Amino acid sequence: MTDTIHKPAVDYRRRQKLARISRNLAILIGALVVAIYVLAPVAWLVSSSFQTEAEIVSVPPHWIPEDPTLRNFEAIFTAGNEEEITYENRSGQDPASGGYIPSTAKNLLPAMWNSTVVATLVVILNLLVGVPAAYALAKIRFMGRDASIYFILMTRVIPDIALVVPFFLVIKNLGMLDSIWSLVLTYLAVTVPFTVFILVQYFEGLPDELDKAARVDGCSRIQALVRVFLPLSLPSLVAVVLFAFLTSWNEFLLALMFTQTSASQTLPIVLAAFTSDFTISFSFINAAGVLAIVPPIIVAVIFERYIVSGLTAGAVKG
Amino acid sequence: MTDTVNIQPGRSRLRAAFGYEERSAMIFLAPVMLVLMLVAVFPILYSLYLSFFRIKLTRPNRTPFVWLDNYTDLFGNELFWTSVARTVVFSVVSVSAIAVIALLVSLLLNQDFRFRRVLSTIILVPWAIPYVANALMWKWIYDSGYGALNGLLFQLDFISRYMVFLGDQNKTIYLIANAFVWKEVPLATILLLVSLKAIPSDLYAAARVDGATVWSRFVHVTLPAMKPGFLLVMIYETMMAIRHFDLFFILTEGGPGDASHVLSWHIYVETFRNLSFGSGAAMSYVLALVTFALSYIFIRTLGRRV
Amino acid sequence: MARIRFNNVEKKYANGFHAVQNLTLDIQDKEFLVLLGPSGCGKSTTLNMIAGLEDVSGGALLFDDELVNYTPPHKRDVAMVFQSYALYPHKSVFDNIAFGLQMRKVDRAEIDKRVREAAEKLEITHLLDRRPSQLSGGQRQRVALGRAMVREPSVFLMDEPLSNLDAALRISMRAEIKELHQSMQTTFVYVTHDQAEALTLADRIVVMKDGVVKQVGTPDDIYERPENTFVASFLGSPPINYIDGTLKFAGGGAQFLHEALALDLPEAITAKLSGQDGRKVRLGIRAEDVDEAAAGGPGATIHGKVNSVLPVGSDQFLGFDFYGNELFFRVGKDLAHKVGDDVSLSVDLNRLHLFDKDSGASLLW
Ligand SMILES: Nc1ncnc2c1ncn2[C@@H]1O[C@H](COP(=O)(O)OP(=O)(O)OP(=O)(O)O)[C@@H](O)[C@H]1O
Ligand SMILES: [Mg+2]
Repeated sequence: MTDTIHKPAVDYRRRQKLARISRNLAILIGALVVAIYVLAPVAWLVSSSFQTEAEIVSVPPHWIPEDPTLRNFEAIFTAGNEEEITYENRSGQDPASGGYIPSTAKNLLPAMWNSTVVATLVVILNLLVGVPAAYALAKIRFMGRDASIYFILMTRVIPDIALVVPFFLVIKNLGMLDSIWSLVLTYLAVTVPFTVFILVQYFEGLPDELDKAARVDGCSRIQALVRVFLPLSLPSLVAVVLFAFLTSWNEFLLALMFTQTSASQTLPIVLAAFTSDFTISFSFINAAGVLAIVPPIIVAVIFERYIVSGLTAGAVKG
Repeated sequence: MTDTVNIQPGRSRLRAAFGYEERSAMIFLAPVMLVLMLVAVFPILYSLYLSFFRIKLTRPNRTPFVWLDNYTDLFGNELFWTSVARTVVFSVVSVSAIAVIALLVSLLLNQDFRFRRVLSTIILVPWAIPYVANALMWKWIYDSGYGALNGLLFQLDFISRYMVFLGDQNKTIYLIANAFVWKEVPLATILLLVSLKAIPSDLYAAARVDGATVWSRFVHVTLPAMKPGFLLVMIYETMMAIRHFDLFFILTEGGPGDASHVLSWHIYVETFRNLSFGSGAAMSYVLALVTFALSYIFIRTLGRRV
Repeated sequence: MARIRFNNVEKKYANGFHAVQNLTLDIQDKEFLVLLGPSGCGKSTTLNMIAGLEDVSGGALLFDDELVNYTPPHKRDVAMVFQSYALYPHKSVFDNIAFGLQMRKVDRAEIDKRVREAAEKLEITHLLDRRPSQLSGGQRQRVALGRAMVREPSVFLMDEPLSNLDAALRISMRAEIKELHQSMQTTFVYVTHDQAEALTLADRIVVMKDGVVKQVGTPDDIYERPENTFVASFLGSPPINYIDGTLKFAGGGAQFLHEALALDLPEAITAKLSGQDGRKVRLGIRAEDVDEAAAGGPGATIHGKVNSVLPVGSDQFLGFDFYGNELFFRVGKDLAHKVGDDVSLSVDLNRLHLFDKDSGASLLW
């Protein structure tokens, strides 16, 4: 054929190209803005944790440390070995750095340890009570299933502050104040409903016929859960572990009420105590803050995928 | 073929009610029910009971039953109403900001571009860190002597000398809200992103064929589809905002004056500084009921159960 | 050894839905029984009750003489093949097949032997190390069959096991399942909504509708002697044609009368109709029970105008407008009719069906 090809009146190709370029530009700018919004405050915290007390009080601030130092971190990790710093001897500190280390600094590492222990115990208990419950709610049709779901849904929305007063009195009467067990127990209230919902959601997503096949193949309910569903639910288990861990690691209000000494104080409590002490060096506080955010951030980065799917499942249903 | 088999009806009904399924479900649910009874139901009921007494830890031996006095006192208490007002301002400001920012970020993350995954990982950072660290960070940023905010505004020539931020009655609640928003945006974004992803691409294709522009596609396809997700975010974040405590404790302790004296802070002060456990319980009960009401709407509007 | 008896069994779901009503059924040992019916009629529910996957809300379910209403599935000696196959995604093909035996504590050597035998039979030996996600639909189906086979159960249940396969595979698998039944010598209960499958496989068919059994019988019974219009309509393609009319007795014989049609009913049919003079009836003519009109008697011929012609390979379907009734017949290819032609077709009078117009119950069977 020898038909001539007519160019369209409008140059669509050029238009498309323009549209694509402007779209990409918009996305680039948007992504930069978001990244800066999220990262700048954290970056500033990190940057100031590497500054000396002298540098940190400069006006205007040094955004990037000119003379980076690890002293603040060293101080945290060696705090326990030094003689106790009291009001009387604190002026004996190095005047060049201008800072001094608070007597509570030596509590930081034990607090991290407490946080870890509490969080680990909470995770284990969550799995123990959450997994069978979620399986039953997702795959067994029994009388009272709906009621149970509503019940758990209700407990999920109780504000933690409403639990503080009764918990405090009970724990005080039981003589459990200042024990990590009081934390473990009360953290179950804020983690278990969420755990159950993530898992229910996940189990419901697995085909019913799989459950039926297992049953017909000779599995009791428990065997069907252990031999067929558990191996398949790894992603949701990871999500559950992460949430229970992070929630416990980060919790503040209940820990504030029930802990008194380094025997049970968790990291947020020790950190919070620093912030209300006006005599403590900013750079030291910031270093402690960095220590507190590093583990959660690492976890978040590694397990991004699981967190997103878990959050979606848990929040949508709760 | 017609030989009938007799089953005693009474026995069979009993066995049906406690059949194998029911029994295994009961065993599987027993631990969780026990735990929740212990750590959720019992405390909340105990709290109701406490709220009918005047309990002052300073007078441990005199705890008279006062019926609803704690509640009626509450409504006559000016500071309580101040705290309600502060809570409302804080919640409205933060929740609207969260909704807007999360909408924009989720629209961005719904696009396909090279660093999308990196960005969606970065965005989890605020969600992951403890509130206490978040508070400490913003306290340092807002610092009136050496803070980054002052430094930045100064370097950009917006201000000629450093100013007071958290100590300023007119600013403090908004600055706290900002810290709250920064931490809550990620979760809201993820939730909105889910409803965005659920929009079938056919719908966009159809709209394009029908000649819809980018903007009208957004208005007629995207926004309506996001409505449930949006509602979820609004209500969830409202629940989080009205009960929020950590930032107020660390950043301002309710100050300056009563500028950030929100409800949760009021409860804390009443309970643990005034050691008035009865009225503290009454107030937290009010807060719990408000939250329940909200979540009821939340469940109803979503119209879904597991 | 497995005779399965339903005595007045009821199934009500938790939401109040009455899925199976007053089911009484006696499934013989080693029988191949097919549950047939439209979607949602309660076939799977019935099958699940046999497996113990759904509990029985009323009545008695017996395996041989044992009441099993309350016996959980893992205590019943049944195996089941699911429509979606339901293979365990985290297990290899071998472990999928072996799982049921492992759960029953069969010793390892025996498991290995049985799995390999079954795999051989199903020609999946080369797949034993794969995961289900690495198999095609047909291969998965075979694994699902193998998983049930090795169990050597006393009851073999299948819920639409072929419906996810393509047409050709489905037909070849039918033959294999039939063979399997013969070699296994156990009771098979098979659910399908595909009439061809039911007619080929079954010793007996149970036709269900809305939770109620409409007829139980051999494929021949069901097809040739439907007890009601529902069963008559459900089998046959294109479906049976109905013409409403009245019965009239005249002289020694009976007649079916319609405004444009008078059929003299043959002796065999008339004999079953005594005392039905004047009854409003619905005449059923199966699509294939007509032929090009020869010079036959006028009583056996129907005239009409061709509406549509649908060639279906070996035959063709004629859409036929008969006084407002749309009739479909299946005729040979050699009849060259075009839309709009007037045609006369002779009806095979011995194969007519008669139903009560209101209740739909057969007047013949
Ligand atoms: N768990 C349940 N709760 C309530 N109703 C149910 C439940 N399961 C099934 N039903 C209803 O019971 C009826 C029978 O369901 P069943 O699964 O037995 O149908 P079926 O004959 O197998 O259909 P199909 O051919 O589509 O598989 C249907 O109407 C269905 O909606
Ligand atoms: Mg079915």
